[in-house]
Amino acid sequence: MEESVPVWELRNVTKRFPGVVANDSVSLSLVAGRIHGLLGENGCGKSTLVKVLCGVHQPDSGEILCAGRPVVLADPIAARRAGIATVFQEFSLVQTLSVAENIYLGRLPRNRWRIDWPAMREGARRVLGRIHVAIDPDAIVGELSTAGQQVVEIAKAIAANASMIILDEPTTALGPDEIAELHRLLLRLRDDGRIILYISHRLDEVVELVDEATILKDGRVVSNAAETPVEIRAIVRKMVGRVEEHFPKAANATGDALLDVRSIHTSNRVAGASFTVGRGEVFGLGGVLGSGRTEIARALFGVDVLRQGEIRLRGKSLKLLSSRDAIAAGIALVPENRKSDGLFFNFSGLENISIAGLGRITHRAMLDHARERRLTHGLIQSLRITPTAGTALVGELSGGNQQKIVIARWLFAEAELFVLDEPTQGIDVGAKIAVYQLVNELTAAGKGVILISSDYDELLAMSDRIGIVSRGRIVAIRDARSLDKADLVKASADQEELAA
Amino acid sequence: MKRLVSNQIVGPLAALLLVAVVVALTTNRFLDVGNLSNLILQVSIVAIVAIGSTIVIFTGGIDLSPGSAIALMTMVFAMTIKFGGVPLPFAVLLVLLIGVFLGAVNGVLTAYFRIPSFITTLAALSAFRGSAFMFNNGSPVFSVHPKLEPIFYGSLLGVPLPLFYVIGLYALAFFVMRYTAFGRTIYAVGGNPQAAALSGLNVARTRFLAFVIAGAMAAVGAVLMAARLNSGSPNYGVGMELSAIAAAVIGGASLAGGRGQIVSTVIGALTIVIVQNALNLNAVPASAQNVIIGAIIVTAVGVDMWRGEIGRALAFIVGALTSPGQKGKVDQ
Repeated sequence: MEESVPVWELRNVTKRFPGVVANDSVSLSLVAGRIHGLLGENGCGKSTLVKVLCGVHQPDSGEILCAGRPVVLADPIAARRAGIATVFQEFSLVQTLSVAENIYLGRLPRNRWRIDWPAMREGARRVLGRIHVAIDPDAIVGELSTAGQQVVEIAKAIAANASMIILDEPTTALGPDEIAELHRLLLRLRDDGRIILYISHRLDEVVELVDEATILKDGRVVSNAAETPVEIRAIVRKMVGRVEEHFPKAANATGDALLDVRSIHTSNRVAGASFTVGRGEVFGLGGVLGSGRTEIARALFGVDVLRQGEIRLRGKSLKLLSSRDAIAAGIALVPENRKSDGLFFNFSGLENISIAGLGRITHRAMLDHARERRLTHGLIQSLRITPTAGTALVGELSGGNQQKIVIARWLFAEAELFVLDEPTQGIDVGAKIAVYQLVNELTAAGKGVILISSDYDELLAMSDRIGIVSRGRIVAIRDARSLDKADLVKASADQEELAA
Repeated sequence: MKRLVSNQIVGPLAALLLVAVVVALTTNRFLDVGNLSNLILQVSIVAIVAIGSTIVIFTGGIDLSPGSAIALMTMVFAMTIKFGGVPLPFAVLLVLLIGVFLGAVNGVLTAYFRIPSFITTLAALSAFRGSAFMFNNGSPVFSVHPKLEPIFYGSLLGVPLPLFYVIGLYALAFFVMRYTAFGRTIYAVGGNPQAAALSGLNVARTRFLAFVIAGAMAAVGAVLMAARLNSGSPNYGVGMELSAIAAAVIGGASLAGGRGQIVSTVIGALTIVIVQNALNLNAVPASAQNVIIGAIIVTAVGVDMWRGEIGRALAFIVGALTSPGQKGKVDQ
């Protein structure tokens, strides 16, 4: 077997931007029929390296070899022609066109001047069949689920006969079943002799999937494929240089009741959920995507109005008709999608922090800018947000800082109950740890936290108790220490089956 | 915040000064006192209307209706005074209420029925103009009231009154945008409506109120327009909405919402009017003037968008010229 002969190879690729060396003499060998993980914290140079491989950036020095011969990937079209296909977090699909049209976009099969529709449909069906996916070639892409669209994106790569498929954070928007499905698909592609370059923050899935991994730190390779053991603790240690603090859970739960949810129903999936959250407690909501976890959060935050049941906070029954009511009662929601639902990109960090609590800085109908600056700077310091957040637009800050700013907003608004929906999604390990420490600080201050997370390790480690959600109800509440990951996965899956 | 404000004003202000200097150097009568005070009269109405247009743009919307609203209101104004015998102050008050009402119509349809503002105000552009023609058989009303013209042509301590209106209203708008929670909310709603709703802000009410303000500003514009010509006409205000939007855009307001400074809009309005004035003084035909104004709008927005790249390109050229031995670096 010529297994060790790399198809694609990077040799000492260096890419500089003003003030920073994004890739510092990076070498990488990609062998046919292997899934290669590319790991590292935000800002380690992964994205730059991907952009070099797909023709967006040109390396300042070093070379790219395909089957031993140097190639120049002058632009994305050249890269695609050379056989490199990239599936980005934001798909490059046209939402209003059909699956078949998307797969052949840019090279529609023609019959003289007319598009050869039957040939296109047949080709699309063949490609989808080859990767064992049951998607109708005539379906409109915009009507498919996120997972479905991703598969179309991959099918597009296969149809273009790509030798290497790069996936950049492919699982952020997928549920556990869909992730498993994607992984099976990637394994089939691997066995088909293709190279998969896989980039993800979710180390748990990385170690399950990849055959080998390269770790980048500060633009350099700190551990190449031969040196990297495919094991979480070892990887974390190489990425951040520490491991024992990965889940720094502090137990602050008290017996004081804060929130009491009694058999709530909404017209959006919540059907009889009951649970309590104490002061200083982290109550985790487990369950598969679509089980109603996020919808329970929406009900608590007044986005979906209750049809039945009761929500009591500090012993007082709440009537939540809008988010305004929930905020006034002291409930905070850190939404799953930080960019579309959380941040104001036209504002600095300071204005992002104060926006939900303008009442605190309004004095005789006027905003007190000095007080605003004082209060927000206090939070920026105590949450260890970068000091530039005071004046810089949030778009210029890292994902970790952005997430802390959204949490700081609710501290500014003096919330008592924090609903955190996927709070560490898409941020690097170092920033994750900072968010966990923040959760500890919230609980230490007697706040209640509801944690929703698809990362089961995180959910288990950071929660005091876990409620398993299925079909809009809490079907079991367990002490987090008495559960392990297998229990949680099994419990969620069992419940879904029972309910089905 | 302070840094941000000054940065956003510096660009348009520099452009205005540049235009003013070029015009002053090339056009003889430009700096005449008579011409300058004429300039103030010319800019006043569009500058005031543009306050409303800019605030709507800040919320992420657009208002295409103020020109037509002005025509309708000058007709109602002129007729209530001339034929209804209503005293001037009451007629002014009535027009302000009508302006608020017309703005509220746009606001309800946009904010509460969630019809895109481009559509609602395009419909209003047509409907308000049509309504204006329903009064007085579609004929203008002339010689409305002897005391009407002084509202526009009067002066205090030698300064034309419209300058006071402009300064007063811009000061008020600046105060609201910078020092009230409402102003901050307008920017938030324009920047990210979902996040604004999830931060407990009343998105619909904010959008509604922006249109109400725009209606009120159009009413002030209508009173001044009627006073300027001592008449009401269904043909007044044609194209006013576009001049007002152009003023906002040249002033640096982003049509995507959430970004811009209200005070920059008056700078944008002045830029347009000075250019128009210079072209008039140099006897450039109206058709060519419109082409030039169009070019200015595109240039202003283009320079604003590509400011970073242009700056780097200039730095590169300067660097290459000053240190011929060293290669300048242009990177992403």
